[in-house]
Amino acid sequence: MNDKSGWGDYILYILGAVAIGILARDINAIARLPQEVNQGAIFKIIFFHVPVAVTAMLAAAVALVASVLFLITRDFRFDALAVAVTEVGLAFLAANLITGSIWGRIIWGQWWAWDARLTSALVCWILYASYLMLRRAVEEPTQRATFAAVWSIFSFIDVPIVIFSIKWWRTQHPQPVFWGGGSFPSDWLPVFLLNMLAMVLLAIVMTVVRVRQENAQRELDSLRRTAHAM
Amino acid sequence: MNLQSIPLLFAQMTTPDDLVREAARLQRNYEFLSYGLTVAWVILVIYVLFMVSRGRKLKREIASLKAMLEDRPKP
Repeated sequence: MNDKSGWGDYILYILGAVAIGILARDINAIARLPQEVNQGAIFKIIFFHVPVAVTAMLAAAVALVASVLFLITRDFRFDALAVAVTEVGLAFLAANLITGSIWGRIIWGQWWAWDARLTSALVCWILYASYLMLRRAVEEPTQRATFAAVWSIFSFIDVPIVIFSIKWWRTQHPQPVFWGGGSFPSDWLPVFLLNMLAMVLLAIVMTVVRVRQENAQRELDSLRRTAHAM
Repeated sequence: MNLQSIPLLFAQMTTPDDLVREAARLQRNYEFLSYGLTVAWVILVIYVLFMVSRGRKLKREIASLKAMLEDRPKP
């Protein structure tokens, strides 16, 4: 291991292994926890549903910062970070929407409700998915990065709406456990926080891998231009 | 949030029908919990596999283009 990239790979593998290890350990810990008296076992989906949601919202915030920085500096490294973190956040948000839907089927008796939280989260997913589609539609790299950055900033408007919708409107989605007057047993909290840490670590590892791919894609584009010019 | 153990829940029930209904509810809850966790994992695993395949494709294309450029006679 004598170059920077080698050490980077090594650290990345360790972080990924730590994240997977924590998640595997937590599945065992979650299974051993007692059931919630009203909702039963399905309540335990909160250990995944909330961490993936928080990770997705963090990803959106990073994408916003990266997009603003790209527009200021025109440095393509920020564009690579924005696309990488958006794609990873989209996967986490999909996991959030689907686990929520499965919880709703048991508790509400229906897979989906068009309330403010669920609808704004779905709109958020569509906005960031359209960000990726927009990138595919524009050929010229600088124009593509500029349009995408503007779209990413616009898309972020929905993120506070997703977060605060349950406070601003009456929703079918329950009030938050941690900042809405609910309570969480103290012995459940370490498992929850560890799961949160693991999800964020996993997202960081995925984002770094994706940024490298974006750099490789740029190298490939440059090689293609050279080949075309010859 | 009130947490109670399952034996306590069962002890509060009066009729055998209640017990059967509660057992069915618990079973259904566990089933759906397992679906939820499986789906969350499957989505992340599919995304990782998708990234791995894209990484391999990129490496392959870069290598073949570099080889092609090296083989070409320089003007």
